[in-house]
Amino acid sequence: MGWLFVLLAGSCEVIGVIGLNKVSQKKNIKNFLLMEAGFLSSFALLSLAMQTLSMGTAYAVWTGIGTVGSIVMGMLFFGESRDRKRLFFISLVVFATIGLKVIS
Amino acid sequence: MTKYWIYTLIAGLLEIVWVSGFKYAHDFWTWAGTALTLLLSFFLIMECLKKLPVGTLYAVFTGIGTAGTVVTEMVFFHEPVRIGKLILIAILLAGVLGLKALSGEKQGGEA
Repeated sequence: MGWLFVLLAGSCEVIGVIGLNKVSQKKNIKNFLLMEAGFLSSFALLSLAMQTLSMGTAYAVWTGIGTVGSIVMGMLFFGESRDRKRLFFISLVVFATIGLKVIS
Repeated sequence: MTKYWIYTLIAGLLEIVWVSGFKYAHDFWTWAGTALTLLLSFFLIMECLKKLPVGTLYAVFTGIGTAGTVVTEMVFFHEPVRIGKLILIAILLAGVLGLKALSGEKQGGEA
């Protein structure tokens, strides 16, 4: 269950970051709620994940999914660059995450 | 300028405290401390965002958080030292830092 929770926590963080970007463009209640809901559920799920996973692993994977997820969303929906360097670093994060799952 | 880098360092150290709280907090006061350090570390980072380059700021902050939690759990919470895990976390951190550095140099807003 810990791995499921940390995956969901990372996804919620991406939602929080999208909310944060929207708040920085336009400050209204809807955008603010999206940001708050994203980050709060992300923290709650991370805490749940840590009940079974080691703290260092859970934190690293959470940060990794949050970062990669935000960038992939930017590539897919906001026309950000897909250059090779970015794809290379994304593959490092994915590789390390799978590796941590395998050895845990 | 230097003042804000010191704030970044403090925010990173507070981050280690609240992340530890997420795993080890067990009563009202430890959870209250966790929430307080979380808010304080976010407040400091928001202040630093006004003055420092965003890519570098996030890289330093995330680096301290990741390395810090790994070291903290081994030193203070008796987590076994496993080389494979440390190497994989280092690879993951390299990926995250690379991505943050690239987005900092390009448009500096997101992620």
